[in-house]
Amino acid sequence: MNSAVFIGFAGLGLAVVLHIIFTAMTLGTGLLAALYRWRAYRENDAWAELFARRVFKVLIVSELFSGVWGTIITVFLAGFFTAVTTLATDALFIPIAIAIASIMIRIPTIAISWYTWGKINPRTHSLVMWIMALSGFGVPFGFRAIFAEINNPTAVGYYLQTGQNPGWMPYANPLFWTLYLHTIAAVVSVGGFVAASLTALENDVRGVKAGLTLGFGFLTAQLVLGPLYWYSLDQYSPLLFNAVNTTYGPLFGVKLVAVAALVVLGYMALKSARTGAIHPATKWLAPLALFVVVAGEILNDGTRYPNLVLVGNKGLPATLFANFYMDIPMPAVYVILAFLILSLVVFTTAAFYALYRRFIAEVPETE
Amino acid sequence: MPNPNPLLPLSALGIYFHAIYIALTFGLPVAIGVMLWKYWKTGDKDFYKAARLMTAVLAVNFALGAINGTLVEFGLVQIWPGVNLAIATFAFTPLALELIAFANEIAFLILFIVTLGRVRPPVSLAILALYAVFAYFSGVLITAVNSWMQAPWGVGPVAQVLYPFMPEYGPNAVDVPKLVAVKLAAVATGQPISLIVEKPGVAQEVGIVLKDPMVAFYSPYALVSIFHNIIAAILIGLAVATAGWALRYFKTGDQKYLKIVKPLAGVFAVIFVIQAPIVAHFMGEAVVDYNPTKFALMEGAEKTFNDPIIALVAYGDPNKPIVGFDQFEKACLSHGDKTVGDLIKAVGLPNTLTLQSAGIPVDFSKIASVKLADLCLQDLQKAKAYMPMIHAAYYTKVAFAIIGGLAAAVLFFYFYRVPGLSTLATAIARVFGDERRRVFILALLLVLGTVIPAVAGWYVREVGRKPWTVYGLLYPSELVTPVPYSTSPGFLAFAYLVILAVNIGGLFAMYLVATREYKFLELLKKGAGVRQ
Repeated sequence: MNSAVFIGFAGLGLAVVLHIIFTAMTLGTGLLAALYRWRAYRENDAWAELFARRVFKVLIVSELFSGVWGTIITVFLAGFFTAVTTLATDALFIPIAIAIASIMIRIPTIAISWYTWGKINPRTHSLVMWIMALSGFGVPFGFRAIFAEINNPTAVGYYLQTGQNPGWMPYANPLFWTLYLHTIAAVVSVGGFVAASLTALENDVRGVKAGLTLGFGFLTAQLVLGPLYWYSLDQYSPLLFNAVNTTYGPLFGVKLVAVAALVVLGYMALKSARTGAIHPATKWLAPLALFVVVAGEILNDGTRYPNLVLVGNKGLPATLFANFYMDIPMPAVYVILAFLILSLVVFTTAAFYALYRRFIAEVPETE
Repeated sequence: MPNPNPLLPLSALGIYFHAIYIALTFGLPVAIGVMLWKYWKTGDKDFYKAARLMTAVLAVNFALGAINGTLVEFGLVQIWPGVNLAIATFAFTPLALELIAFANEIAFLILFIVTLGRVRPPVSLAILALYAVFAYFSGVLITAVNSWMQAPWGVGPVAQVLYPFMPEYGPNAVDVPKLVAVKLAAVATGQPISLIVEKPGVAQEVGIVLKDPMVAFYSPYALVSIFHNIIAAILIGLAVATAGWALRYFKTGDQKYLKIVKPLAGVFAVIFVIQAPIVAHFMGEAVVDYNPTKFALMEGAEKTFNDPIIALVAYGDPNKPIVGFDQFEKACLSHGDKTVGDLIKAVGLPNTLTLQSAGIPVDFSKIASVKLADLCLQDLQKAKAYMPMIHAAYYTKVAFAIIGGLAAAVLFFYFYRVPGLSTLATAIARVFGDERRRVFILALLLVLGTVIPAVAGWYVREVGRKPWTVYGLLYPSELVTPVPYSTSPGFLAFAYLVILAVNIGGLFAMYLVATREYKFLELLKKGAGVRQ
């Protein structure tokens, strides 16, 4: 693997991990915000309105930046791995179209939800919030089909063998459904823990309880869905399964320990919240849940190295799909990576001031 | 070849919506900056409130711009996957650098929104300026890519080989036989390029096609397009902001809104003076030099003719004729009896090309007997079909730009006293009625004088390069997706529905954000313990 291909692989990995961190935070918090916004409207519950707005701040701060990393993934793929991108767009047309349509609905409805809050009637606003929350789940419904195909190319295999477009066939890939359900449970769970940690900073016991109920509930579901995905890898992507259990075994072990810690601490925190107290561990649940997500994504993607696509027991190396049409200017790539780090620093500063220093007020300035 | 025609309007719709938001993304920071500057210098809260409201509009607008940008980007790779070859070569460096611009533009915008009103105005101004720098840098890079499709810099004389009336596009930075082979493979197989590019191992087998990854940046066409497009977008954004505040003044008669309109109109007029007579002139010259068919379409030059005014503007020489399609046809006929086979021999390609990794044998003998003159003439006929629309669009653009310029001048001298000129401006403005009405109508003319030229100008730029997507090199049918149902009524209906619903809904939401007062905050205030 030459240096350009390696940098492409590593850069893609970095972008995927950062994108996943942000999306994991926003999909679940979006659902929680929509749920409590609706409850506020239905039950005229002032606390629920404040809680929904407070949780929603996570989205307003991070969704666009999350989208940046999605764009970075696309450019890295198209620029460094031209063949795989072209193959995916030709063979997986429907999943990609679903993801794009979902993105198109999701991002504007986030901005619209925030800036029309209090300006349009609560019923319409609740509806917009639901559209915002549910459209988010369409994005992984599209993109996780690509991940499933990279690990177990059924639709793409059919396309390459017959020249016929596989249509909806990516959704008949058995790996897709276990991966998608595993992902959804993870992001909803993380969203709950993020909401709990955030509201713990505000000493909002009811908010902590609401976040933990969602977070811990979906974490419990993961106790079934995680092993199910692991088992499906054994069945349909043996090379990846072996890498997870051998070369990446230590990381897999650490992930399992982190999940166990999350289960124990989450349970203790939820128990405290039910008695009206905030457990000191609550504020650490969000970072711990995000660590589990990062570890899981590295296991899902990094384990393919040096391959980009796995077909049963055979790996197709990244070089087969790489861009050899020109010598990639590596100094430019390093400059880009440096500036991306700058953007991370600026974003982190903004997020710190918005969420921790509470520069974004729950109640909009009217004067 | 698949028929790309049903997909062209879909792409155009996405690009036009994207353009709306880009204009506001580029223009609103200037308007917000002016307000913050005035607030800093005068301490007048009205300027701060105006900046805050425009920031809210900018935020919703940015979200809409970002998703339409995503749509356009995915449109490129999904609907036009042949473009991936360009992304892997000529467009690689601009698009890779665009990541810097996009990531930092968003990061600084979020920082600006979060800190506005919490830090001193000069700090806010500095953050806003950094956001604007990265936003404009993004515009520079995307325009560079678009300009490469208008004038494919770095392919030297390649386009000229088939179209003798075309110029050379800069230095020859490509491996000519490989580039010609890819083009002829698409012609010979009747399949889009993506079906070759997608095969694992093809890139390794083909090897280096482009020798200079930076070549797209050296294009004079790109340089002038960058200034032209970015300034046009800033003007549109400023015009919309000016008209918005003028509308409030018109509705309420409140002097505080007039106070906001005045500096915005002043900045608009100054920027317009740079754009219309200077940058637009150089843009026109670039079209003359590098897009001969487009210029002929703009001027309706089916036959070569003399017009000293147009010639003076276009060439700087009133005696030079406006070259029409008759001259281009003559140039095509200069190929004589030369065939594609002769071209294949000249660049040293075999009669049958086999890409092992793709398992595709490409038999060039099927097209070897086709005459180059016939290919050249066919493309001219296709281009000529666009003449009535391009000609009309171009002169509509010019007419409305003049209206916009006059409105800007009248509004400027109406607000800023210059002996003689202000008297004239006031006399003209009075034609429109009382002050509220005249300020609003003039501001509205700024919008018409920027938006219509931009819409028509972009149409001329994009449609004027047809029948090629990459001027002189590649057709839409060679770049389009091979997926059959991409042109099915079901998919097209779905795509149009999503694009229209999201954008119309989004624009309506921006209007609500800009115009509605807070009416439903009681519950939130109660929850937060804020006194009513």
